Amino acid sequence: MSSWYPPARPRPVADGIRARSKRGAIAQTWWSERFIEVLESLGMDARLQRGRSYARKGQVIDLTVEPGSVTALVQGTRARPYRVRIGVTPFDKTAWAKVTEVLADNAWYIAKLLAGEMPEDIESVFASVALSLFPASADELSLDCTCPDWSVPCKHLAAVFYLLAESFDEDPFGILAWRGRDRADLLETLAALRAGTHPADRDTSTDTVVPLADCLDAFYTLQAQAPPAAPVSAPSDALLDQVPALEVTVRGADLVDVLRAAYVRLGLPADHAADG
Amino acid sequence: MLAVHGFWSEDLGLCLWAEDCEPAVTSPSQAVRSARPHPFAAGADDIVDVLPQVARGVPAVATLLLPSLRRSPLDSPELVRVQPRTYAGGQPMLLAWTVPVLCFDPAAALAVLELPAVEARYGASMHYLAQVAALSRDLAERGRVLPAIEPGADHSTHVGRWRPVLQGPDIVARHALAAAMPPVCRAEAAGPHDTSGRSPSDLVSHATTAMADAAVRERLSGAGLLPRRRGRPPRRMPVAEAWIESLTRADARFPAGSADVGELRRALTPWAEFGLGATGPGRLTFRLVEPEWDAPGPDVTDVAPEESTGGPDGRGGPSPGWRLEFWLQSVEDPSLLVPADQVWGGGGVGLGRWLDRPDELLLAELGRASTIYPVLADALRSPRPGGVDLGIEGTYDLLTVAAPVLEQAGFGVLVPSWWTHRRTVGLRGSAHSARDGVLAGGRFSRDSLVDFQWQLAVGDDLLTGDELAALAETKAPLVRLRGQWVALDPEHLRRGLDFLDRPPVLPTNAAEVIALAAAHPDDLDTPLPVTSIHADGSLGELLAGSAERALQPLATPPGFEATLRPYQQRGLSWLAFLSDLGLGACLADDMGLGKTVQLLALEAHQRGERPEARPTLLLCPMSLVGNWQREAARFAPHLRTYAHHGPERRHGADLESHLEKADIVLTTYQTATRDIDELAAYTWERLVLDEAQAVKNSRSRSARAVRRLQAGHRVALTGTPMENRLSELWSIMDVLNPGILGSAELFRARYAVPVERHGRSEPAARLRTITRPYLLRRVKTDPTIIDDLPEKIEIKQHYRLTTEQASLYQSVVDEMMRRIETSTGIERRGNVLATMTKLKQVCNHPAQLLHDHSPVGARSGKVNRLEEIAEEILAEGDKALLFTQYTDFAELLLPHLSARFDTDVLYLHGGTPKGRRDEMVERFQSDDGPPLFLLSLKAGGTGLNLTAANHVIHLDRWWNPAVENQATDRAFRIGQKRSVQVRKFICVGTLEEKIDEMIEDKKALADAVVTDGEQWLTELSARDLRDLFTLSEDATDE
Repeated sequence: MSSWYPPARPRPVADGIRARSKRGAIAQTWWSERFIEVLESLGMDARLQRGRSYARKGQVIDLTVEPGSVTALVQGTRARPYRVRIGVTPFDKTAWAKVTEVLADNAWYIAKLLAGEMPEDIESVFASVALSLFPASADELSLDCTCPDWSVPCKHLAAVFYLLAESFDEDPFGILAWRGRDRADLLETLAALRAGTHPADRDTSTDTVVPLADCLDAFYTLQAQAPPAAPVSAPSDALLDQVPALEVTVRGADLVDVLRAAYVRLGLPADHAADG
Repeated sequence: MLAVHGFWSEDLGLCLWAEDCEPAVTSPSQAVRSARPHPFAAGADDIVDVLPQVARGVPAVATLLLPSLRRSPLDSPELVRVQPRTYAGGQPMLLAWTVPVLCFDPAAALAVLELPAVEARYGASMHYLAQVAALSRDLAERGRVLPAIEPGADHSTHVGRWRPVLQGPDIVARHALAAAMPPVCRAEAAGPHDTSGRSPSDLVSHATTAMADAAVRERLSGAGLLPRRRGRPPRRMPVAEAWIESLTRADARFPAGSADVGELRRALTPWAEFGLGATGPGRLTFRLVEPEWDAPGPDVTDVAPEESTGGPDGRGGPSPGWRLEFWLQSVEDPSLLVPADQVWGGGGVGLGRWLDRPDELLLAELGRASTIYPVLADALRSPRPGGVDLGIEGTYDLLTVAAPVLEQAGFGVLVPSWWTHRRTVGLRGSAHSARDGVLAGGRFSRDSLVDFQWQLAVGDDLLTGDELAALAETKAPLVRLRGQWVALDPEHLRRGLDFLDRPPVLPTNAAEVIALAAAHPDDLDTPLPVTSIHADGSLGELLAGSAERALQPLATPPGFEATLRPYQQRGLSWLAFLSDLGLGACLADDMGLGKTVQLLALEAHQRGERPEARPTLLLCPMSLVGNWQREAARFAPHLRTYAHHGPERRHGADLESHLEKADIVLTTYQTATRDIDELAAYTWERLVLDEAQAVKNSRSRSARAVRRLQAGHRVALTGTPMENRLSELWSIMDVLNPGILGSAELFRARYAVPVERHGRSEPAARLRTITRPYLLRRVKTDPTIIDDLPEKIEIKQHYRLTTEQASLYQSVVDEMMRRIETSTGIERRGNVLATMTKLKQVCNHPAQLLHDHSPVGARSGKVNRLEEIAEEILAEGDKALLFTQYTDFAELLLPHLSARFDTDVLYLHGGTPKGRRDEMVERFQSDDGPPLFLLSLKAGGTGLNLTAANHVIHLDRWWNPAVENQATDRAFRIGQKRSVQVRKFICVGTLEEKIDEMIEDKKALADAVVTDGEQWLTELSARDLRDLFTLSEDATDE
């Protein structure tokens, strides 16, 4: 019995972080792709492949982005998860002050970021103060993993890298946070620059339900007049052009293309829609 | 009578329940702490009885919290009781009651919420839920849905769903719906101690989600999203494919391993979250501001062509003026708008209370908008962007392309009002009659020659040569013309000018111009939309819809036994004019103005000119055949009528020989439908559809049958205004002038949906223009009519018995005649009076004689006719007094009419206390009071002032003119400013008609009638009585 050989597969994780993408490349936006490029410049295809499959299987348990470092736990073959850290030099206060000033002068950047997109020309902002937002090469990163594998990057590091890229897809502010300024801080400073102060009294109106016992007088009647529907002239498949792109294919065709004809059909007069 | 209510349940879907006016109102149980059975809730079977189409519903029991007294729930306002309920003291409180319900899944709910209530009355909750269903359908039809995956009931299956995506105006609409929800819709008790009820927002959200999914499936049913697989399907279907297929099936479940589904769900996350973030309370709204002009503004013609490229109208770079401003708008209160400058400053009235971080919201919205509308990018390159300068091309692009897309994505776009009612450059056709028609006698016909030419116009204004030259130079899509902005695609203008230089084949005669004027611009092969077609002379009057006023009124035809009032003469000449042109005509005068007389005069006029004309086929409801026969005999005795109906009607050669001798053939819609093969074989002089709303459903059997009939001319008579019921208008117009409004689907897309659902005015205006040559509608209050109308119009309303009534009538006569013949003296007199009473009851309604509380249904010819008349009265916004001698009949009619017309009906009888009587009179006299007032002849005959009514209907007869007139005078009193229509119901072939004839025949009468009502009849001999009572053959149709 060769019980001392470690099992070939990593231990399954119940609720790890799973990559959303199923196959092919993981990063979906140009800015997360930039990260992956740094990783992939290190070569070692086979290990990256395993890293991707770790990311998709949910082997990464915990992922935290902090100024200057990303830390994560990755469940490998051993009982105890490995600790992974990806370090980068954060920008100092002076640098951030200059960047914030540029951003405050140009609403475009924050508007795009708030809408979930990294503005394409963001790099020029950092370049103007002689900084580079994206690490130019792996040399700028410190990559550590507690696994016994001596090669860098190991599959655990690669898995974290992929998930990090995906988290940047979702929230591009993450990259800025990693570089030293988190979203709340940045927005607070920018708002102050724009206006000086923030409105103090904030009151979130909640949806209150009038108790039925207070409605006895007009229990069966309309409580207000509902307005008629507004006319609309946009085509019935317009929504398909507004939703984010997905990595979902059906029998080899992109999901949006599969759905297009159906959406057009929804907008046709009823009798047309019925005959097909 | 049932009042049907509805609510949405997250577990059960749409639930219907009903209150019933019959059962006792108090609960035998006093246990207020637990839910007791609702004492007067209708059983599920009773609901199915009145709404047979809901039989598919699943019966269940629900617990509702309702306003109640200790022993009984309060009535809803829609429940009508013959004896109004009086509430003893005590504060109403909320108590739990169990009620039987019928439940419907979302697909069935969509159908159920479109059903009209006929034998029951809908509560406000039903109308409300219909609005929720309409929003759900609308979301589906506009593609505001995204496919999603939900976990199934068990772990091995999953469910494919269409999730509605609400942004911008749709969120506002859903908020408004939630705020309007009648409390009864959310009264389903969540638990034993629940008293607050469900959350309206949650319920509306749940209901729209469920019904939008069902509406999408309904629209996509029968067509898969994927092409059919060739060859054998794989043993294990890929999960994405299984999911896609589940989206168009009725059964939304699909099997798949949970890992596969988990992966797919994760990949779909961006879509699952799409639109959810935008439900915040604020949104970006764009406001287009036009350049300021000094009045009167410079015009396109003021700018010399060579300067125009530099001027404000010129193209090229952005010119100062057109600016798109950024505003932040409250979703909940759209009137709360704050400009961007104030947002950046952190100020703005109430901004802080309204939004957490208004500036970040505005920035995020701008960022999102810049993806769909890249023009914004430049404007955002500043610290505090407040707007963007667009220039003319940019403005045009915004208005025509970007604005609808931005709106759909949830942004507001406010444009100047001139754009909403914009005038575009189009083609205007003018026809000049070659031989100018003298209006009368000039014999204008379909073949009359015309000179036709096209010109360019803005709206209705022709463009001058200077303006055209300047426009051609300007090359800007928006130009200022005669002080107003006008949208003009330069390419269209160029093609328009080419078209004027080399126009295609032009219309040469009146018929071609008429066809052109009736066409929808989309169906014409012109480079610019046709804005209007003008003509001079008779053709012009026809197209403008003013022929009735311009034509020389025709004199009353010789041999016609009535004097036509001036407006009836005009109606006659209008009908004759359209008939000569072979154009179908719809005479839609208000009821009581004499449509029958005008049509008979047309027949008399035409047959006087051309005695050889073929017979006219006239279709009417069964209840009106007798009316037509009698009116024809009275007004145009020389016209030969043949009534083609009943089991004895002729066929084959027999029918043919009858037709040779007839001028007017009367038949019913049902008979015509049954005999359509035979009737369609003849070519008729004219086809007349009386009460043409009978063909309003174009897919009904009778409507399809009517379309097969061949006739030289078609006329529809209808008293219901059709402007508000567009599908009915389509159906009638399509019978009159086939194809004139396009196919039913095209009509729905071009007119019905834009006008009825979105309240748009231009399609409505276009529809009026197209139909006005063929439609003549005069209303009682029309100043050109009102002076011609007498103060009181008396109408005898003939109707027929149903088969059930006829056989009941016959058996009463048989039995009572036996008794009369074997009795004498007081006993005989008593028997005669009893016979009269019983026969009158049969004529009213079988249930009144049988006292069996059986349903009203369609068992009485009188009630059927009453419903037809009441429908017109209500459609015209009028009010009516309904008199009867019998409280039994009134109490049978009260719940029936109130359910049938969804309205309160007042009821006054001998036992009504004085206070209540005064209160009812006051309600009736007020402007928004109930439109129908039932009165017993004795109680209501005197003392009351009911001038709000301009219709009086005597449902049964006392045969004492003095008593009847006294009752009539309730409406016809000082203070009555309108003409009053008095109708007396008379059943053809029964004692009602025979006694009426006796009264009219003054010789037979003496004054006895006036003094003692019906007593004089008891003195008649047995033979006379038998004549009087016996049912004539024509009393019934069947």
